[in-house]
Amino acid sequence: MNEREIKVGIGDMKFARGDSRVITYALGSCIGITFYDPLIKLGGLLHIMLPARVDPNDPKVFKYADSGIRETLRKLTAFGLVKSRTVVKIAGGAKMFEMKGSGNSDFGNIGQRNAAMVKRVLMDERLRISAEDTGGSYARTMLIDVSNGDVIIRTVGKPEKHL
Amino acid sequence: MRLKKYEDMNLQDLDVMKEISSIGTSHAATALSKLLQKEIRISIPEVSILGYEETVNKMGSIEELVTATLVRMSNEVNGLMLFVFKLDLANAILEKLIGKRYDSFEELDELAYSALEEIGNIIICSYVNAFTQLVGVEIDLSVPSSTVNMLGGVLTVPIAEYGYVTDKLMYINAEFIMDGDKLSDGLLMLPDIESLNSILEKLGVS
Repeated sequence: MNEREIKVGIGDMKFARGDSRVITYALGSCIGITFYDPLIKLGGLLHIMLPARVDPNDPKVFKYADSGIRETLRKLTAFGLVKSRTVVKIAGGAKMFEMKGSGNSDFGNIGQRNAAMVKRVLMDERLRISAEDTGGSYARTMLIDVSNGDVIIRTVGKPEKHL
Repeated sequence: MRLKKYEDMNLQDLDVMKEISSIGTSHAATALSKLLQKEIRISIPEVSILGYEETVNKMGSIEELVTATLVRMSNEVNGLMLFVFKLDLANAILEKLIGKRYDSFEELDELAYSALEEIGNIIICSYVNAFTQLVGVEIDLSVPSSTVNMLGGVLTVPIAEYGYVTDKLMYINAEFIMDGDKLSDGLLMLPDIESLNSILEKLGVS
C-alpha cells in the first residue's frame, strides 16, 4: 500500500488520478459523491453538507449539493472526464438523531433532503447513480480507490462494504 | 452591534458566555454529584468558537465512537444543546450508577444507553436552568434524543442545522474531576443568532 491518501473535508472536493485513494470521514447527514472515469482512471470525491446554495455569491461551492456537483463536473471535465463514462456512487444522508414527539418534523431530516437534492441534480446532469448507501442512523466513512474505482464504506460495528 | 454569526462575538461577549457557562457547568456538576453521590469538581470552562474540523480535533478524533445527547431549545431562546460523552467519562458515570464498565460504546446495553441519555439530559437541563435564571429568559426544552455514533458524524448535525448562517460552533469544554481523574466533557450550546443577540442584550453587552 504505497498509495497516496487524500483527505476531503466537510464541504470540499478532491480528485486524483492513478494510484491514490480519496477519503472523507464520518459522513453524517452530509453526502459523499464519487465520480469516476475508468478509462483515464480519474476519480473525485465531493462531500456536501446542505442541499442548495441560496446565496449565489457564497464562495463555498462544494458545501451545497447543487453548486458542488456542477463545480466538480466542471473541474473534472477540464481534466478529461467524460460524463457518459462516469460512474457515480453516493453515501451518507443519515438521520443522526431521532427527535421524539417534536413538532419540528423538518429537523434531523437534512440527510433526506440532501439525498433528494443530490439525486435531482445528478439526474439534471444526466448522470446515473450506479450504487448508493444512504439513510439509516449511522455515520459513514467513504473512500474511492482511484486505481480501480472501488468505493468502500466504513461504518462502526459492520464489515467494510464495497459499493 | 448585532451579531450576524458566532464568529462576530468579541472578547467581551465571549467573556460573558464564559461566565454564564461557568455557572451552568457548576450547576450541572452539582446535579451529577448528587446523583452519583460522589464529589465532583469542575474546571473553569473554556468557551471557543470553532470550525467543524477544529471542534472534532479538540474533542477527539473524527471516527471515534461517542454517545451524544441532543436537546432542542425553544421559546425565548431557540437552538440546540448537545452533550458528548467520551468513553472515559461515560465509564466513570456508569460504574457508579450501574456498576459496570464498557470497553467500547458498541457494547453498550439498553440500560447503560438510557442511563447515559438521562445523565446527558440532566446535565443539559441543569445547565439551561442556571442559564435561564441568570439571563432572565424562558427556555423550553424538548425530550432528549441520543445516538452512539462517530464523533465527526454527530457534529455534522449542528453544523448542518446552522450551515446557512455560520460554519462555526460554540464549544464549551470543562473538565470534571472525579476521584482524581480529569474527565473531559463536551457541551455544545448553539442558540440561533437572533437568540444569541437577545441573550447578550439582556446581559447588557453588545
